[in-house]
Amino acid sequence: MPIIQVSKLNKLYRTRIKEEGLKASFRALVKPVYKEVQAVKDISFTVEKGEILAFIGPNGAGKSTTIKMLTGILHPTSGEITVLGLDPIKKRQKLSYHIGTVFGQKSQLWFHLPPTDSFALLGAIYDIDKSTLKKRVDELTECFELGDFLKTPVRKLSLGQRIRCEIAASLIHTPDILFLDEPTIGLDVVIKQRIRELIIDMNRKEGTTIFLTSHDTGDVEKVCKRAIVIDQGQIILDHPVKKLKYDYLNKKIISVRFDLEQHLKAPSGVTIEKTGTMGARLSVDTRVCSIDEAMRWLIAKGGVADLTVQDPPLEEIISTIFTSQPEVV
Amino acid sequence: MSQVKNVLKLIGLYFKVNLASALEYRSGFLIQAFGMALSNGTFVFFWWVAFTQTGGRIGGYDFNDVMFIWALTSTAFGASHILFANMNRITRLIVSGELDTYLLQPKDVLISLLCSKTSLSAWGAFSYGFVLIALTQGRSPMAWLMFLTGVITGGLLMTAICVTAHTFTFYFGDASLMGNMAQEFIINFCNYPEGIYKGFVRVLLLSIIPASFIVHIPLKLARSFNATLLLALLAFSFMYCLLAYKFFYRGLKRYESGNLIITRL
Repeated sequence: MPIIQVSKLNKLYRTRIKEEGLKASFRALVKPVYKEVQAVKDISFTVEKGEILAFIGPNGAGKSTTIKMLTGILHPTSGEITVLGLDPIKKRQKLSYHIGTVFGQKSQLWFHLPPTDSFALLGAIYDIDKSTLKKRVDELTECFELGDFLKTPVRKLSLGQRIRCEIAASLIHTPDILFLDEPTIGLDVVIKQRIRELIIDMNRKEGTTIFLTSHDTGDVEKVCKRAIVIDQGQIILDHPVKKLKYDYLNKKIISVRFDLEQHLKAPSGVTIEKTGTMGARLSVDTRVCSIDEAMRWLIAKGGVADLTVQDPPLEEIISTIFTSQPEVV
Repeated sequence: MSQVKNVLKLIGLYFKVNLASALEYRSGFLIQAFGMALSNGTFVFFWWVAFTQTGGRIGGYDFNDVMFIWALTSTAFGASHILFANMNRITRLIVSGELDTYLLQPKDVLISLLCSKTSLSAWGAFSYGFVLIALTQGRSPMAWLMFLTGVITGGLLMTAICVTAHTFTFYFGDASLMGNMAQEFIINFCNYPEGIYKGFVRVLLLSIIPASFIVHIPLKLARSFNATLLLALLAFSFMYCLLAYKFFYRGLKRYESGNLIITRL
């Protein structure tokens, strides 16, 4: 029995539009013009208990709108949603005891107070008795390694420390489902990796179902088992990450800068996208040439001053998916 | 009954956290509270001058009556802003999508959002009223009783007016000006004797802008107690708050959220 069931879900926003200038402002005052924007178009999917699902797409694709409908924040225009057997709109309060949410850009911690005070308030909000709360905070402190800054005001924490506290705060009531909306936004590589490990750990230990939206293909690759790709409000792909990785995440971008002048002749699986005498941008098909091989080839050339390996931007992957999908699923 | 208990418990919880947060900046807290009390205090002098010039009565009130309504307005305003300071930010919370946090929690959205902020300067207004009552009403138990009753009903009515005005944001986009105006109107009308208001204005003060229920009726009760009038005060306050609450929840269905970067202060 799926833990989340979504059927033919739609969300239509009505936004006021206005031409440029003061005259247009007055005109809009008397005769406002509205435009309808369909943020989510007829999407259907299910999520099983204990699954780690990536819900990915570019800016404005409809990811956050979908999460907000699943958690009862937004009313759908049409369609049906069942989360843990409950309608998120009609049973919002009841459902909130069983779900946790982290919005990367919104904090649920008090800025001037240490995380421990926010945890105490959240414990009371979720009707957790004092001894259970203490035990839970101890568990989360250990799991998320919060001990060093649990009593430091949130305003003095680094972004990485704050996000760890945010995730811990959203797990205080031991939810069955954790919704993570861009949890690694703005974090450096090391902290991102740590957050990913902690999410996986939480899923393993407590069987928490994870519903994750992200811009970062790394989050998808490292954390999720299944990915749903959404673009312009429509689901364009729903596959296991393994398949997605094989089909679309098989490209890495290497940017290299040399101390000496170099004329590159790319080996098989490497495409030179942009080149100058002192540097280049290369695209590596990892199915043909591993990153290890490509880097060894570059270093063997000599005079490497700087080298970075990146995933292709998600927009590029989605565009590839979009152009290669004959129909929307 | 258990629902009322839960609401009071929630208000208490937020009060403790807000106070702890405010006390992180102790000197700011004291300066703002003292500044507010001092600013209110200067008006006592102006009223004293006005009464000495007009022979002791203005709009049917003597100096002590005016001090009663001033004290009540100040303490009710202070209480509402100590407990529900977010009332002034409802428009901002709606427009920037900050209601998400409250919608994700298993408690009442409106109560949670109202309680999650306190005003430091409101402590000055709150305590100023008590000092004024002690100085001008002496030991009259009825004056004290009706003052305390008025602080509760008045504080709730002031909050309800503000909530109602800001709720129009769900319909028109930005009702912050309406919210500010509603608050200024109510304070201005509360600060003057009832007798100076005539005709339509008087009707307004007994309905949409219920200044009479906030200060004039508690004063009447303090001077000459009447159980029916007290019941009318309690019933009106309850109904007004209930309507504001229902109106907010009706508007909430139109909430569109947002993706701004938010911090809880």
